[in-house]
Amino acid sequence: MANTAKSGAMSDKNKTSARIIRYSPFYVMFTPVLIILILFYYLPILGLRWSLYKFNPFIPEPVYIGFENFMTLFKSARFWAAFSNTLVLSIVNLCLSMIFSVGIALLINEIGHALAKKFVQTVIYLPHFLSWVVVAGIFALILSVEGQTGGFVNTILIKLHLIDEPVYWLTEKKAWRLIWYIANRWKETGWGTIIFLAAVTGISPDLYEAAEIDGAGKLKQVWYITIPSLMETILVVFILNLAKVMNVFESVFVMYNEMVYDVSDVIQTYTYRVGLQGGANYGYSTAVGIFKSVISLILVSAANYTSGKIRGRGII
Amino acid sequence: MKKNIILKAATVAVALMMASSFLTACGSEQGAAAINDLPLDDTCVDGVAKPEKIIMMVDTFMKVENREVGGKDVVCEEYKKKTGIDLEIEMPSHNQYYEKVNLSFASGNVPNVIELGSTYYPNYSAYGALWDMTDAYESSTAPMKSIIDEQFVDALRIGDEGNKRLYGFPMARGNGTITYVRGDWMKELGISDPKNYDDFINMLEKFKTIEDCYAPLTVAGFINSESPYNQYLKEFYWDADPHFYYDDNEKKYVDGMSQPAMKDALKRLRDAYEKGLIDRQAVTNSTADCRNKFNTGHAGCFNYWAGAWNKTLEQNMSNLTKKGNEDVVKPLAPIVETQYVERPPTAMSITSKTKNPLGVYKYLIEYSHDGGEGQMLFTHGVEGENNGKEKTGHWKNENGKIVALPYFSSENLVEKVYYSPELTITEWNDPIEADHEVVNSSKIFRENSYMVPVPKTSDEMSDALPELDTVRKEVISKIVTGVTGIDDGIKEYETRAAEEIEIILNALNS
Repeated sequence: MANTAKSGAMSDKNKTSARIIRYSPFYVMFTPVLIILILFYYLPILGLRWSLYKFNPFIPEPVYIGFENFMTLFKSARFWAAFSNTLVLSIVNLCLSMIFSVGIALLINEIGHALAKKFVQTVIYLPHFLSWVVVAGIFALILSVEGQTGGFVNTILIKLHLIDEPVYWLTEKKAWRLIWYIANRWKETGWGTIIFLAAVTGISPDLYEAAEIDGAGKLKQVWYITIPSLMETILVVFILNLAKVMNVFESVFVMYNEMVYDVSDVIQTYTYRVGLQGGANYGYSTAVGIFKSVISLILVSAANYTSGKIRGRGII
Repeated sequence: MKKNIILKAATVAVALMMASSFLTACGSEQGAAAINDLPLDDTCVDGVAKPEKIIMMVDTFMKVENREVGGKDVVCEEYKKKTGIDLEIEMPSHNQYYEKVNLSFASGNVPNVIELGSTYYPNYSAYGALWDMTDAYESSTAPMKSIIDEQFVDALRIGDEGNKRLYGFPMARGNGTITYVRGDWMKELGISDPKNYDDFINMLEKFKTIEDCYAPLTVAGFINSESPYNQYLKEFYWDADPHFYYDDNEKKYVDGMSQPAMKDALKRLRDAYEKGLIDRQAVTNSTADCRNKFNTGHAGCFNYWAGAWNKTLEQNMSNLTKKGNEDVVKPLAPIVETQYVERPPTAMSITSKTKNPLGVYKYLIEYSHDGGEGQMLFTHGVEGENNGKEKTGHWKNENGKIVALPYFSSENLVEKVYYSPELTITEWNDPIEADHEVVNSSKIFRENSYMVPVPKTSDEMSDALPELDTVRKEVISKIVTGVTGIDDGIKEYETRAAEEIEIILNALNS
C-alpha cells in the first residue's frame, strides 16, 4: 500500500516535471511579466509601512507615529470632499461610458458599408490618442470667453439667446462636471466601443433570423437579443473599470482650477498637492494611497458579489 | 526644539569632522587659495581635497526655454579641462524640478549640489538635508570674498538671531517681476507712464478700447504659488501680503490675509475684474498664455521677470508681429502706491550626504564666482575657436572680439549658461556687454524694489501650508471674480483654515 502511494507520488512528480519541461517556452515567456509584477506591483507593497511613519525624504530616520497620518486624513474636510468627488465623478463617468460605448457600438454595427464603417471607427478612435493636456487645451479654446462673443460654445449660446454675454464655464461649479463628462466621453467613447463591437460580432446570426421570423423589429432585436448577449461583456468591463474608479487624476488635473475645487478635487489631485507639491509628506500620501486601495477593493468585491447574485457566478 | 538642537549639533559636528579629515589627509594647515592657480593633477592642495566628480541638479542650466542639447556638455568638458573634475548636470523639466529633488533624496541618489528657491531652502535646511557652509565661507581667502556683494550672502543666512547659518550660496540676485505694457498702444492712445493707481486704471481702461484686446491686463492667477505671493499684481496689492509676515508694529508674525491692507487690495482687484480690466481667464491662465496674449496684441499689460525677459519678449514680439523694438515692450516703473519685490537669491546648496562638501564648495561655488575664468565659464560658457558655432562655444567671434554667440539649438544669442550676467552678485569685469533692454528693465527694477527675506519655516508649517494654500487661493479667486463677498470670503478662509492658521502662527511666534 505504502509502495503504491510512494510510486503514485513519484509518478505525480514526474508528471509535474514533464509538464514543466513541456510548457517551458511559456514559462520563459512569462518570466519578464513575473519580474515586472514583482518589481513594480509586489515589492512596492513593502512601502505601505510608511503610512505609520512621519516620513519625508530628508528625515534621517522616519519616526513611527502609529495611525496619526490616518487620523489627520479622516479629520480633513478637504480629503472627504475629494473622496466624495472621486466617487461621483468616476462612477457617473463609468456609467456614461457603458451607455455611450454600448450605444455607439450598436450603431456602428448597423453600418452596412464596410468603408463607411471603418471611417467612422477611425474617426471616433482618434481622440483616444490625444494626451489629456491637448484635450484640455481644445476644451479651453471652445469654452473661452475671449473676444466679443467668446469661444465656440459661448458664441452659439449667445446666438441662441440663451446667455447675454460669454460665461467662463470652466470656472462655473454647476458646469464643470458636465464639461468633464463630455471631455471624457469625447476622448474615450470610441475606444470603449472596440470590445463591445467584438462581442456584437460574436452573436449568432441565427438568433436574429429567428427573431425576424417571429416578427421582431430592429429595436426589439436589440432589446431581446443584442443587449442580453452583451450583458456578460458589459459586466466584465464594468467590474474591471470599477477597480480603477479611485485612480482618476490626469483628466481632472489638467482641467480643474481653484474656483471649482469643491466639485472637482479628487483624491489623486489632493494627494499630489499635499504629498508631492507641498512638504513632500510621503507618510501622509501613503496613508491616502492605502485608503484609496481599500475603497477600490470594497467596490470591486461588491460588484463581483452583485454579479454573482444576478448571474449565478462572479467574474473574479 | 530638542530635535533641532540635535540636528544642528550633528550638522556642525559632521562639518567639523569632514573639514578636519581633509586637513589631516592632506597634511596641510594652510588656508584656501584660488583654484585657478592650482595644477590640474593635484588632488589635494591647500588643505582641500579635490572631488573627482560633482553631480549638480539644476533647474536652469542654459536658458530654460532653450534647454539645448550639447550646450551643457561643452561646458562640462571645459570645466573638466580647467579643474580636472567631472561635472554631471541633471536637469529635470522646469515644472517637476522640486519633485525630482525630493525623489532623489527619497531614493538615496542625492546630487552633490542642488539649487533651491527661497520657499524650499529653509525647509531643506531645517531637515538637515543641506551642508552648513558658514565656516567654509567665513574662513575662505578666495578671490571671491573680495568681490562678492555680502548682502546677498546675508540674505541666505537663516536660523536664530545671533547664530544665523548659511546652507546655500547665492547663485545670483533673486530678481523679480516688473510691469510691461505695449508701448505702441500707449503712443497710439496718447498715454504717458502711469504715476499712480488712478493713472494705471485709466491706462487699462483705454487699452480696453483697442481692437482685439481681450484683456487690458493679463495674469496667471490672483496669487503667486510661492513666496513672494503678491509679486505679479503689485499695482493692486500695494503693501498687502496674503502670506504670513512679521509685523513691526505688533512685534509678531501675523496672517496677511486677515489684515486691513488685504481687504483693500481685494477690493481693488475685484473692482478692476468687474470692469473687465483684468483677464477673465486669469484663474486658468499659465504664464505662457499671458506672454502669448501680450505678444499677439490680446493683452496690453502684464507683469513678468525684469532683465533678460525684456529682450526675449521683444524677440518674440518681433517674430510674431514684426513690430519688435524697444517702444513696443515697455517696462514701467511702479506706481507711487507700491514697489516691486525682489526674491531672496536662489541658493546653490551642497547636500549633507556629499562626501567632500568643502571640496565641492571650493572647486565649484568659489570657482564659479571668482570674477575670472570660472565666472566666465558659468556665465557665458566656453571661449570659441574663432568661428563656426558648431565647433565653438558661446563667446568670442572670428575677429577675436568677445561677444555672445548663438546657442547650438537656436539662432538666439546665448544669454546665460548658469548665472544671469545682469544678476551677478560679484563685482567683475564682464567683457560681454548686456543689451540695452536687459540693462534698462533691470535698472528700473532695482531702483524700485525691495528684497523680501527668506520665509521662516518649521516642520509644522510644512505640513500645514499645502492645505492652507489651497483654501487661500480658492477664496481669493472667489472674491475677485465676485462669487463671494470680501468679508464673507475672508470669514470663509478664517473658518476653513483655522487649524492651519493657528499651527503656523504658533510655530512662527514661538
